[in-house]
Amino acid sequence: MMAIYMFDGEKIDIRNLNVWFEDNHVLKDISLKIRGNTVTAVMGPSGCGKTTLIRAINRMNDVIEGSRTTGQIYVDGRDIYDSNSNVYDVRRKVGMVFQKPNPLPKSIYENVAFGPKIHKMARGKELDQVVEKSLREAALWDEVNNRLKDSAFELSGGQQQRLCIARALAVKPDVVLMDEPCSALDPAATSKIEQLIRVLSENYTVIIVTHNMQQAARVSDFTVFLYLGEIIEYGKTKNIFENPQNELTEKYITGEFG
Amino acid sequence: MRRLLDVGLEELTTILFKMGGIAEEAVGLSIEGFLEGVDVSEKVQSLSAVLVTLSVDAEDKTFELLVKYQPVASDLRVIKSYMKIAYDFERYGRYALDISFDHKTFAELRKDAFTNTPLQKLAEKVIKMVQTSVTAFKNHDAELARKLAGIEDEVDKLYMSTLKQYSKTSFRDNSLISKILVTRYLERIADHATYIGESVVYIATGERVTLR
Repeated sequence: MMAIYMFDGEKIDIRNLNVWFEDNHVLKDISLKIRGNTVTAVMGPSGCGKTTLIRAINRMNDVIEGSRTTGQIYVDGRDIYDSNSNVYDVRRKVGMVFQKPNPLPKSIYENVAFGPKIHKMARGKELDQVVEKSLREAALWDEVNNRLKDSAFELSGGQQQRLCIARALAVKPDVVLMDEPCSALDPAATSKIEQLIRVLSENYTVIIVTHNMQQAARVSDFTVFLYLGEIIEYGKTKNIFENPQNELTEKYITGEFG
Repeated sequence: MRRLLDVGLEELTTILFKMGGIAEEAVGLSIEGFLEGVDVSEKVQSLSAVLVTLSVDAEDKTFELLVKYQPVASDLRVIKSYMKIAYDFERYGRYALDISFDHKTFAELRKDAFTNTPLQKLAEKVIKMVQTSVTAFKNHDAELARKLAGIEDEVDKLYMSTLKQYSKTSFRDNSLISKILVTRYLERIADHATYIGESVVYIATGERVTLR
């Protein structure tokens, strides 16, 4: 039977998480509780383990040869690393949006319909509704509703990224992980994604990796500061950016190192 | 390597340091003139005018730094607080100007001296508060800033006793309004000293305190 532990309201509860890639100990004893319907920003200098941390939350590190993970990550009280846990269910429940928009070489419609189809979640008119709902949630519907059969590659970079968000939402996840989702976008497209992240947090739990301090301040409720694979500070974003308690956090966010 | 923000912060600090010195001088001079019966209004007026100009410079600089660098943590606390402190320094200048003009306008009506009166004691305490606030600001010294709360208590007591004394004074004393106004100006200066103290504590510790 899958391990279920009595959680006290957190959407995600990470306990003593350690990740190695071969001999490289990338995440060191990470424990972190993330509340539902919030946006949490993960920041820290390059190589500190930010991406590895969010990839651990939908078991994407499993596909990397030589990776080893210990500890538990409970999502809604269920340990996703439990031997009975189904990795495909985990990845449906915990979606991911990547740094660069990566639409499939298909139409706009098919990009969004792809997930629900392979998970056998909807077909026919129901599928059309899922596609429309997801595109609306990703604030893209009004821009593409009359060209759903066009190739996704005809969209601008910002639109492609919102399409990828729609694709992630189409399989009805609870958690959306975003790995520097705006790093390849111009300011206008970035602003749209940031607005979208705030709106999404009404229905989803969002965790975003960002190098942009001001973006973390704008979009997130909570901020995690990672350094050399360890959590240095975790708290309300307002407090972290106004009055960080750890000197390393202060030095990093004020640009003294990083 | 120095951050670009540091250059701007230095410029802002230079403006504020200059303001602190001028504000301290303006308050000291106006009170001294008032107590000793000397018209210093011209000099105080020019000091106050410089404070107004520098206050605008400080405001422009803080907005420039906020927009350009979107500062966080201690940088944000400094910039936010310096904007407030610049205003407090400007108010020091304004009340100093009011005191010096009060003297200029009403001095001839005054028959009594201020030696050993509650007003004189009040004035001395207020000068001490202004000096303390400027020193605490310059050194970002939260401990010194917190001491302003104690002096403020004494100022409040002297303020009330001064007003009580004047409430018993005959209305035939033509300088009564003048003295009451100056008492009030002094009390307001003391308030601004505590605001500066609160900003200094916030800069140094991130803690929001009330020193009044």
